[in-house]
Amino acid sequence: MQHTALDKNSPLPLKGSRLSTKQIQKRRRFKKNIPWLIMFVPVVAYYIIFKYIPMGGNIIAFKNYNFTDGIWGSPWVGVDNFKLLFTDPLAFATIRNTFVIAFLSIVVNFPFPVLLALMFNEVRKQWFKKTAQTLLYLPHFLSWVIVGGLVITLFAQESGTVNHLLQQWTGETFPFLYKPASWLALFLASGVWKEAGFAAIIYLAALGNIDPSLYESAALDGAGKMRKIWHVTLPGIRPVVVLMLILGMGRVMDVGFDQVYNLQNPIVSNVSEVISTYIYRMGLQGGQFSLTAAMGLFEAVIALALILATNAVARRFGQGLW
Amino acid sequence: MRLTRGEKWFNLLNYVLLSAASLTCLLPLVNIGAVSLSSNEAILSGKVFLLPVELNVQAYSILFKGTPVLNAFGNSLILTAVGTAVSMLLTFLAAYPLSRPDFYNRRFFTLAIVFTMIFSSGVIPQYLLVKSLGLINSYWAIWLPAAISAYNMLIMKNHFENLPVELEEAARIDGASELRFIGKIVLPLSIPMLATLSLFYGVAMWNNFMSVLIYINDANKLNLSVLVQQMVRSQSLAQDFALRPEDIAQSTPEGVKSAGVMVMIIPLLLVYPFIQKYFVKGAMIGAIKG
Repeated sequence: MQHTALDKNSPLPLKGSRLSTKQIQKRRRFKKNIPWLIMFVPVVAYYIIFKYIPMGGNIIAFKNYNFTDGIWGSPWVGVDNFKLLFTDPLAFATIRNTFVIAFLSIVVNFPFPVLLALMFNEVRKQWFKKTAQTLLYLPHFLSWVIVGGLVITLFAQESGTVNHLLQQWTGETFPFLYKPASWLALFLASGVWKEAGFAAIIYLAALGNIDPSLYESAALDGAGKMRKIWHVTLPGIRPVVVLMLILGMGRVMDVGFDQVYNLQNPIVSNVSEVISTYIYRMGLQGGQFSLTAAMGLFEAVIALALILATNAVARRFGQGLW
Repeated sequence: MRLTRGEKWFNLLNYVLLSAASLTCLLPLVNIGAVSLSSNEAILSGKVFLLPVELNVQAYSILFKGTPVLNAFGNSLILTAVGTAVSMLLTFLAAYPLSRPDFYNRRFFTLAIVFTMIFSSGVIPQYLLVKSLGLINSYWAIWLPAAISAYNMLIMKNHFENLPVELEEAARIDGASELRFIGKIVLPLSIPMLATLSLFYGVAMWNNFMSVLIYINDANKLNLSVLVQQMVRSQSLAQDFALRPEDIAQSTPEGVKSAGVMVMIIPLLLVYPFIQKYFVKGAMIGAIKG
């Protein structure tokens, strides 16, 4: 601090005129910036090439793309591709499935981390807490290939362990993976299994910030365990809960490719096909680049709108992200 | 402090429920491990639950001899090691200048990067770009497009911003160059954060599935994720992986598939005790920032 203060006030270098001090500061700033700018050049190149050029590449959603003419040469078709998205039954079902699955995921996934955090918070034995946390965080690190592999092998009709047990108890097996309702249940449950434990960390952090004296005064007032949770713990984590709920709503369009792709099968495709898997199958495998680019752009725009909207709501709660 | 009866019941219920939840996370892994180590007859008759029945390693020997799983394992290691290095380097190159208060246009650049977080460019244009760059079947198609995670970059930038200003002033008075300042002061003070972010990138790379599926067609270049996925989904392992008839006769597909899943899980289990605390720390940073 002393150092800069000295520079500003020193009359020596250019006889103290205001302009020249500014010039010196400018030059000094430029000199400081040289190494940073050199460092930053690859980053700018990276973002232009790998993020902003593909963003521009979305213009093929308004064209009829073919390989020989390329992105620039292919003929314009206006919004025909978007019209097709809402008239083609398969495309429309895909959009509907995406909304349904994403919405259900948010609703089902939401309460478990909060519950787990509250439960962890009441555990006094440290070894038990550590062990339980270690086990519950573990699935977060497994990829959807592993989780999908587990679900498919465990619930397979002829060879799966679950159906073996079911047969011993009831004498019958059940095609869990091939009925839309049970497939959806497995899909949602696998999401909870994988992420609920790890997502509890955020709430645990919030719980750690609650003033302990609040519990003491609640105890003095004769509050039991449940009343303490209801009147002290829950209000204490409410801001985080609201924030996470809002953030979750902002991700309504975001059904991960890995999760769906690793769990779905052709028999339940009428409920399991979502935008990301549709783009993979119809676009990358089927060559319908313009149609699927339109689908992708539609998804990205809705997602952007949702994030902006939820952030506006979050601001009302004083929790805005920007 | 004495507990009331209600509190005792509450505690008991709490412990029971948490134990049940923990076991739910553990048992599927134990089960698939047991299946991978059991005999064909035991698997088919449904006797395997948590312990291997008629313990043997037949499934693993078929897996390692008959399928390219070792090759895929090596590919996964290369993908993870180089990918993490590339990501960390580029993330640092972005985060450090953006963390300097005097950096030109830092607000504009930060916004331009955050915008890529909330508006994705889409899979199809990405694919056409990678294709036109001639990167199909090259690992650079995996490493480059996702090299910088804006989220990780913001964590790193935030960390650098919180280093004491006095450090930089002192270094400048001593005449240290930028490179020296970074190497001798910034990086040594950031080791836990760098470890956390490397692990974020590393685990994501190890588990990478979609971009390998999309960009790599060469069967010899597949990573474990895609190979294991193909095995799990295969209707006929013998046909899809050209196994020898005498091997097929000795094994059930379930055993081999389970063994394949285990090969993917085991390395993660081995490093999990060491990386867990870094991840928890990273998630906490996210919580505080969020």
